[in-house]
Amino acid sequence: MESTLYIEPSLTTPEIRFQLENCHFSIKGSSYPENSLKFYQPVVQYLSELVQNYPVDPSKTFILDVELQYFNTSTAKVLLDIFRYFEQLHEKGQPVKVRWLYLEDDTEMEDAGLDYQAAVKLPFELVALHEEA
Amino acid sequence: MNVSYEHRTLFRYEGPLDMQLLPQIVKSVEQLLIGEKVRTPLRRKIISALIELAQNIIHYSIPRHPHSNPSISLVREGDNIVLSASNPIHSSQELFLRTYIENLLSMNKEDLSALYQNVLTKSDYTDTGGAGLGILQVLAKADGFSYTIEALGDDHANFTVRASFVTLANA
Repeated sequence: MESTLYIEPSLTTPEIRFQLENCHFSIKGSSYPENSLKFYQPVVQYLSELVQNYPVDPSKTFILDVELQYFNTSTAKVLLDIFRYFEQLHEKGQPVKVRWLYLEDDTEMEDAGLDYQAAVKLPFELVALHEEA
Repeated sequence: MNVSYEHRTLFRYEGPLDMQLLPQIVKSVEQLLIGEKVRTPLRRKIISALIELAQNIIHYSIPRHPHSNPSISLVREGDNIVLSASNPIHSSQELFLRTYIENLLSMNKEDLSALYQNVLTKSDYTDTGGAGLGILQVLAKADGFSYTIEALGDDHANFTVRASFVTLANA
């Protein structure tokens, strides 16, 4: 499998930067594509292969950073699918951590993070950012 | 007694809607809401609702009708900001929409939230890659919600959703 997945951001889709070599994965921007399932298909494919092929290495921690301004409900559903793949890695013994990044006064985004935190079984941290990047 | 009641259109778009136009609308509305001193959480709520309703129009509106165009508007009504989205539909969609929305309107916020989580975690994607959660999400987040379906007289109807958001504590 490819070790790196990069998708450039657009006005309606986030930047996807998955880098296996440094164990860092990030989804950043706005996400309201016309068809979220189609947009995230390469991400799902990447993670599916990662779950199947990656030999567990307890000395490394996979970090997934999610920092979104806006996301539609279909993205909300795909995000859960993405978290499920990290859940599978976690179950296999691979250390993983999801960081849900949001502006400190954005209670809507904080609530969304709390909902995901409750829905998944893996280390899931909410990180309040102090100013908009 | 004089009663003063502010009713000011902040934004209105009427015409064909697509995914090229939507980000421009989002950007314009975001700037307008910042200008209205609407704080981040409420701004996010309103724009998220706008995105859902606009994408419902893009996915489900009939393409053209001589007497009805898709439209989206944002109006300040006193302490509320009211988001409206309207589009022509086939009359055959009316029963489904009425049944679906009336069922949602019979639920309280906790039930809506539980239903949202249930659909999010357990249901499949729609044919258009959606989650089937748009109206439910808008209804759960808005402070007020209403809809109308008005016959256009030719097997079509005009479907309008109004979602209101209280700004008093946030402005």
